[in-house]
Amino acid sequence: MSEGIEVVSVTKQYTVYPDSKINALRGINLTIEKGEYVGLLGINGSGKSTLARLFNGLLQPTKGKVYINGIDTADPANLQEIRRMVGMVFQNPDNQLVCPVVEEEIAFGPENMELPLQEIRRRVDWALHVCDLEDKRHHAPHLLSGGQKQMVALASVLAMLPEYLVLDEPTSMLDPKSRRALLEQLYLLNKQEGITIILISHNPEDLLQTDRLIVLDQGTICLEGAPREVFANAKFENLGLEVPSLYQLIYYLEANHFAVPEKIKSIPDLVEHICLQL
Amino acid sequence: MTGMKLGQYVYGDSFIHQLDPRTKIICCTLAVISVMASDSFYYLIFLLLLMTAAIVSSRLNLKFILKSIYQIRSLLLVTLLFQAFLTPGQSLLTLGSINMTIEGLILGSINILRLIILFMGSLILLMTTTPMKLLTGIEYLLKPLEKLNIPVHNFTTILGISFRFLPTLFEEASIIRNAQKSRGSQFDAPQLMVKIKSYAAVVIPLFEASLCRAADLGEAMDSRCYTPHPNHLRLNSLKMKSQDVLALLFVGIIVLAGVPISILTK
Repeated sequence: MSEGIEVVSVTKQYTVYPDSKINALRGINLTIEKGEYVGLLGINGSGKSTLARLFNGLLQPTKGKVYINGIDTADPANLQEIRRMVGMVFQNPDNQLVCPVVEEEIAFGPENMELPLQEIRRRVDWALHVCDLEDKRHHAPHLLSGGQKQMVALASVLAMLPEYLVLDEPTSMLDPKSRRALLEQLYLLNKQEGITIILISHNPEDLLQTDRLIVLDQGTICLEGAPREVFANAKFENLGLEVPSLYQLIYYLEANHFAVPEKIKSIPDLVEHICLQL
Repeated sequence: MTGMKLGQYVYGDSFIHQLDPRTKIICCTLAVISVMASDSFYYLIFLLLLMTAAIVSSRLNLKFILKSIYQIRSLLLVTLLFQAFLTPGQSLLTLGSINMTIEGLILGSINILRLIILFMGSLILLMTTTPMKLLTGIEYLLKPLEKLNIPVHNFTTILGISFRFLPTLFEEASIIRNAQKSRGSQFDAPQLMVKIKSYAAVVIPLFEASLCRAADLGEAMDSRCYTPHPNHLRLNSLKMKSQDVLALLFVGIIVLAGVPISILTK
């Protein structure tokens, strides 16, 4: 069984009116390796969220196939297994929290997976610890801040121990501090826990830490590669996206013959590098 | 939506907090039966003191609960007046063609006591039990109905989601109300039709937003492996302990004692 996510010639069509159809995705081919940290970027309506919903079988392609570790998402008999492997965090934390108490919310997934009670307890405690929510375990989710709610949503999915974590614009409703905390958490989950992360955003600043960027435009992949290559491509800004300030600085430095290593992925790292070179 | 709300769960580790929700639901049901069955003033006073002791021992804010009782004073007063004026008996005061009677006043006071006891009992149940535990308790108690193909699990899940979303919907309603107010809606207008039209401008977007939320929630639940088939393994699985047996015995004795007391004090 091949590991990873494989999207083969996928087209997704929505029927808006009986006589009007929209192609949200047009013949997408994509492979995501296990352990990768991938960013999916594109302006609103480019097909990012549709693609994300194909990964765990919430949507089915009109044409083509999606395989998770070699398992076809089109077969309804596979859906539970696929959803155990591919966890999904949505944009609005308020709309994805089911239970009235944080701890019970996190246990919702493992309970549905019919795990033994001790295992449910162990996973809930672990997810609370990882997301720094231990002191909030008995709180009502609606009384938490937006950032904390999104952390609860993340912890709820993590408790299912997914191999792949798909996050559909999770930072769009967060303040800068909560956004930073969530992105740091995702980076750690990828590097320390080995969870494959697929982060969807329309803000390139969210995707600085990714290993690979996939840029969607009108339902097709128009750019793909390491963030440094993608942001440097002349097509990037024509898509209505803005190059992150870190890369603007890097490109300016490189144009002035100042070498910046590939590993630099944040402004503090860049500042430290410059200080060491001077 | 901040601060303590009436009937909202308050975290604690008191004896009553730790009781199994089934014990609390059964005790409350027994209390309702005994309150409705007994018309002994002394027995009801005893139950009222018992409820107060339960509130104090579960470390709930007694002052807050007393304030809540004060808030339903109109209902209590109407109950008293209806009983006082509509019960035949020895006249105490005459207002036109109707009489206030001593029997009516006593019956009114008894009914007020009943209402207060029921109110306190339901608050103790709601404020010491998390909604999910309460629902799990209801689900366990209604489990025999599953044999009649009644989807108890689905009903309790729907109830649980309603508990979870009520505050969010209140918050949303308040946001929409303010948005409409800033665009000229007259919620305080003296004309009834204007008022109704203003509220329609809140209800329609709220309804639409609720449908969107429901669709999002459905996706979130699906992606977390939710199935409508009952799953009995829960993080907070219910287990009756010796303290539950004690509590049931205690409440059972009190309810049983109510019958002879009511007969003797009649």
